[in-house]
Amino acid sequence: MSYLKKLRASVLGGALAAALGSAFGGMAAAEDITINMAAPDWPPTRIMQDLANKEYKAKSGNSVKVVLDFIPWPDYYTRLAASLTSGEKKYNMAVSDSQWLGAFVEGGYYLKINDIIDKDPELQAIFKDLHPNLVAAYSTYPHKSANYYGFPQMPDVLVNYYRKDLFCNEDEQKAFQDKMGYKLPCTPEEMNEVDWKMWEDFGKFFRRAKGDKLAGQTLDDDFYGIAYQAGKGYDFNSMQINGFIWQYGADIWDETKAPNGQALGVVNSDTAVKALEHYLSLLQYAPPVAKTGTMDIFKTDELFREGKLAAHIEWIGFAETTINKEMSKVADKTGFAKMPATKGADGKMIRWSNIGGQPFVLTTWTEGATQSEAIEFVKWWLSTPVQTKFAQAGGQSGLKSVFASADYNSYRPWNHAFGPSLDWQKDVWHIPEFFELLVQQQEEFDKAITGQQGAKQALDNIAAFQDKTLREAGHIE
Amino acid sequence: MPGSSPGHEDRKNTDRAEGRLAMRFRRKREIGRAGLRRSLVATIISLIYFFPVLWIILTAFKTHNDALAVPPIFLFEPTLENFVSVFSRAYSKGAEAIDTGFALFFFNSIFTAGTSVLLALIIGTVAAYGFSRYPLKGNETYMFIILTTRMLPPIIVIIPIFLMFRVTGFSGTYHGLILLYAAFNLPFTIWMMKSFFDELPREVEDAARMDGSSEWHVFFRICLPQVKAGIAATAVFGLILTWNEFLFSLLLSGVNTRTVPVAMAQTIGGDIGVRWGLLAAIETLFLIPVVLVTFLLQNQFLRGVTFGTIKR
Amino acid sequence: MTTVATTKPGFFERFFARHRGPLLVSPAILVLVAMNIFPLFWSFGLSFYKYRANRQAEPVFVWFDNYIKILSDPVVWSRFQTTAIFVAISVLFQLIVGFLLAVLFEKQFPGRRVLLMLVLTPMMLSFVAVGAFFRYYYEPTFGLLSQAIKAITGEPFIILQSPAGAIGAIIFADVWMWSPFVMLLVLAGLVSVPKHLYEAAEIDRVSWWRRFRTITFPYIRGLLLLAVLFRTIETFKLFDAVFLITEGGPGTSTETIAVYVYRVAFQYFRTSESAALGYILLFVVVVLTNLYLFFVQRRARET
Repeated sequence: MSYLKKLRASVLGGALAAALGSAFGGMAAAEDITINMAAPDWPPTRIMQDLANKEYKAKSGNSVKVVLDFIPWPDYYTRLAASLTSGEKKYNMAVSDSQWLGAFVEGGYYLKINDIIDKDPELQAIFKDLHPNLVAAYSTYPHKSANYYGFPQMPDVLVNYYRKDLFCNEDEQKAFQDKMGYKLPCTPEEMNEVDWKMWEDFGKFFRRAKGDKLAGQTLDDDFYGIAYQAGKGYDFNSMQINGFIWQYGADIWDETKAPNGQALGVVNSDTAVKALEHYLSLLQYAPPVAKTGTMDIFKTDELFREGKLAAHIEWIGFAETTINKEMSKVADKTGFAKMPATKGADGKMIRWSNIGGQPFVLTTWTEGATQSEAIEFVKWWLSTPVQTKFAQAGGQSGLKSVFASADYNSYRPWNHAFGPSLDWQKDVWHIPEFFELLVQQQEEFDKAITGQQGAKQALDNIAAFQDKTLREAGHIE
Repeated sequence: MPGSSPGHEDRKNTDRAEGRLAMRFRRKREIGRAGLRRSLVATIISLIYFFPVLWIILTAFKTHNDALAVPPIFLFEPTLENFVSVFSRAYSKGAEAIDTGFALFFFNSIFTAGTSVLLALIIGTVAAYGFSRYPLKGNETYMFIILTTRMLPPIIVIIPIFLMFRVTGFSGTYHGLILLYAAFNLPFTIWMMKSFFDELPREVEDAARMDGSSEWHVFFRICLPQVKAGIAATAVFGLILTWNEFLFSLLLSGVNTRTVPVAMAQTIGGDIGVRWGLLAAIETLFLIPVVLVTFLLQNQFLRGVTFGTIKR
Repeated sequence: MTTVATTKPGFFERFFARHRGPLLVSPAILVLVAMNIFPLFWSFGLSFYKYRANRQAEPVFVWFDNYIKILSDPVVWSRFQTTAIFVAISVLFQLIVGFLLAVLFEKQFPGRRVLLMLVLTPMMLSFVAVGAFFRYYYEPTFGLLSQAIKAITGEPFIILQSPAGAIGAIIFADVWMWSPFVMLLVLAGLVSVPKHLYEAAEIDRVSWWRRFRTITFPYIRGLLLLAVLFRTIETFKLFDAVFLITEGGPGTSTETIAVYVYRVAFQYFRTSESAALGYILLFVVVVLTNLYLFFVQRRARET
């Protein structure tokens, strides 16, 4: 009780000081405010800390320090979840995966920001400038409702990484034309128009054994054509499979239809089964690790950087390392394009894909001056000049004014694929039970990937489990 | 004990004593040859056993391009760049290399592990002596309850420990982590040390007590020297377990009290999968202190208690 | 003054003498209660409530609902089975390998100290490094194991593709890492056997097996018991190796109970159910270790 009182007193004091400060035009002493933010340890958050240290000055005159607690990615969720649920109240802000919104909003940990937005025209302008798919994925709970919780920190989409040196090689071009009867795509423009059928052809065509020739050189190891994520950990197969399911016109369980949306018959519809079968069939062209069900985003990335793959599908977040000579054997040989799509009946490309990236959120115990300074920091971060700098340093921006600007595509070779892909992004469930659904789904998909069961069986199991879980939770009636 | 009676008998039997003398001479010659043979076998087995570790150490000296080479490279031009980036590296392309804080993490690991093992050793040895010499009512039950505290997966007790740390202000402090690790080490220390105390012959202690030695004298001068091997072995085990503890450190240490295993986890995942060279370099550096301590204590637990009066 | 000075030490001395046992063990008990027993009781209490740490709903007392739910869940039983396989095979092999290594290092020979260090290093490695590197050793494209076999057969060797292979691979890593632990304990016992006993046995031409049973075994019995006890308890909690090498796959074939506990506690946020599951696990381990201790002690009494 006394602790609460103290807290309240300090909050009041802060508010009073702020009021006085504004009344007397900064005559009152500036406050020292520290904003603690939990963040996964990787370049997008490191760049943010770097920019904040160098350039961020609070307009209020307070001396504001934004301190990011960098936590290793593989353990980030555990650390954040433990901190939030234990009532430790250590973090004022946190970078959060979009799926976690439901779980932590229901726990009362993430702050609803509707009132703050309503009062703040600058924030309203930012939200208007953000791509609506990003707002839906990173901000809303329940999914696609008008309740807002987060701001984009690093938006991310899946794109196609391919070996320019191989795809543009004359010998390979000729051989491909002879074998497949059409031109092997080479430029990003050509590669943007690739569908899964052609992707499969790449897989067949570029599969070479040790001793074979590849682009005029004799291989000292087996070489593979294509790969995408097929790992059991976290969401390392669902993110790709969901794209297939959506592109086929099937659906995962749709939480916006709760309590009327059904899992049975939707999740395991015939179309969804075909989509999953298609996904599984393309794994035969992937490196042998695919058979173990552990070929996650880190593994395909490593295989690609080590020069064992002609093309793979990966989050943009990995691109910076792929073109870094110290880390990658294909640094100057890599081209980027949109993820392959499904050709619709009308010939148009259907490009649905699962969104990646992370929003950052405020915690509910962040009040008073700390809260307003945190919001000020968010506004600074999401201002066009800062986002431009972030993009120039290798980050992605969700602001239309940034990603649709003329210069954006010149910052990085993959940027041209980012903006147009945003129109085709959807997200998985944001409900608090998402992790149970995700883990079970990953297990069933992994069984299918490792040949323990077929696509139909996997989706039937998933649908049955989702029906049971969602009924228990009251999401299906 | 059947094993000890022949020992007594043969001391009286002069024939046998002569036989033993002859055997000693024969054995001395044999030790030379048998020792070398054993040495050869042990070298081969040890090197095979050590190979996965050797590979980690080799990787620490490889460039990123050599680390995953197919076929694997055994001979290469060693580089120290991984060791440099353990301490200072750029976190994003084009950024300046900054201090990784590894020196501090390293100190934290040594400090927390060292102090907590020492603490557990002191408290645990005293308790083990108590359990061994002055059994309580339900002694076995106490011992068993102490053991059960090691049986739950730590993840179950994380939330209450978190709560406790918040209330006491232990979160992110050295003393919090040290106390937790000491408690983590206690069950093993007590069980281990009790089994050593149990093996000691009581006759010497009792004789000393008869002579009017104080309890302190009996404990410090008579019992402790005899269980030196046990203390050394327990210290090594405790150190190894604490040294590599991950979950509590991840969750309960602060930015300034973080230990190396958590920092090590940074090298897997993130944007580029595993940074093999960096991971290997951290692990190699991190091995040195435990290897050193173990090597120094090795004589203690290898020499063992050689006096023949031991019970059984 | 003087009376106080003379009576007080007397009182303390008597107090110490009478309560020597409790006094000696109390510091340890205190630390354990504060750091271990309290959290244990907290989660024990919680296991009778319906509570999720990611919901604001107040905990509701539900008696044994969580226990009933978990015990009737086939997933839990299959995770227990997987764990049992891991514990049985892994501990057995740790004992065998550890014992053989100890026999190898029992006698003095040139280079013993250094070679022993080489064998001891595996257990000094951190789980992160062991997990990451063993996953790499098993990996079919880059991995050393696969490449060695590919050099002979021409086909990449994919040990992690079958459930049996994955279980074997994890057990191999675990046995490799922890056999030195058993070795060290056995070694500490072996070197404590008084040499004159062996010499006497040699003169009496006692068979190897008899010598082992009557001389060696009594000296290592206590420590061997400890080794089995602690390795069993630790292997029941097997988490890191699984999570880092196979992530529980392929499918669910290497999901141990500890991995499942983690999922229930921190991914599903069925907080109180995870506490109940923890206590069921605790119960199983307590029963097993008690049985084990009972048999060990009975055999000790028999001999």
